[in-house]
Amino acid sequence: MADLIKRSGKRETEQFQSDKLHASIVAACLSVRSPEGEAESIAHSVCGQVAAWLDQKPEVTSEDVRRKASEALAVLHPEAAYLYKHHQLVL
Amino acid sequence: MISSLAIIAFAALIHASFQLSVSVFTLFSGHAIGAKTAQAKVVRLTTGFLLGALVMTMLAISFTSFLFQNLFAQTTPQVIWAASCGLLFGLGIAVWAFYYRKGNGTSLWLPREIARHLTNRAKSTRHSTEAFSLGLSSVLGEILFIIAPIIIASLALIRLEPAWQLLGIALYTFISLLSLLVVYALVGSGHKLSRIQQWREKNKRFLQFTAGGGLLILGFYVYVDQVLAATALAHGGF
Repeated sequence: MADLIKRSGKRETEQFQSDKLHASIVAACLSVRSPEGEAESIAHSVCGQVAAWLDQKPEVTSEDVRRKASEALAVLHPEAAYLYKHHQLVL
Repeated sequence: MISSLAIIAFAALIHASFQLSVSVFTLFSGHAIGAKTAQAKVVRLTTGFLLGALVMTMLAISFTSFLFQNLFAQTTPQVIWAASCGLLFGLGIAVWAFYYRKGNGTSLWLPREIARHLTNRAKSTRHSTEAFSLGLSSVLGEILFIIAPIIIASLALIRLEPAWQLLGIALYTFISLLSLLVVYALVGSGHKLSRIQQWREKNKRFLQFTAGGGLLILGFYVYVDQVLAATALAHGGF
């Protein structure tokens, strides 16, 4: 699995963890009032797409993963994708 | 008295147009809902936040009024009114120039380290007391901008009778929290945060314009009412 370079390279590089991405996608879906089952299913699908995209890559940044996950999420749940994508830009 | 209450109400309205508390509230309630928190607990947490913002606003306006009341026991010197108007003009232009950062989202002027800290606090808040202190700090974080309306409202407040001063403080606090109350009601009634955030992003330039314009208008009104008119009267005009 690819190594993940954390934001701006300030934190240590770590291995990509699908469960972390899954949890954040579920949280984004729940925060726009999606039912839990739907949130889990969307997160599963998004994680699958991101994992497939990561398959041939030795190293990616966390911003790349967030962008790719947003793109996949935008197709399945545009409102959750909006919050997920703009999460860092609220404040 | 009507003039003083009008100044207080208008200053509070300008205060309400500043967005840091609303941004922190949006972020914080998003995390609370996203973390599978029960709706009753979400309401408790958001109420805690709202109360924190209310208490800090009330403390800020009461403190500055108390300070001015003691400093200017009889009448407020005109130089203080003039300096406060200068502050309103300066901050009005500053709001127009850099209240929101360029680009997507509703990123504010805050240094990024502070914004990250508030984001992390919003994410890890799990108890009502933490939410309360987050509400307190979100008002404090905006002090650079809200200090001008607070000062002007305090100067207007100390001209009132004591009983009316209490009403003035309540009026200021209520109006200044209106934007937060609206978002609180929307979140509490089950509206989607994405819709709220999209509305905020879409209208951010309008909010910025009204906040800056409001400061300039208030500064102009107070300058004419308290400085120019008083000077003219002192010299036998009108």
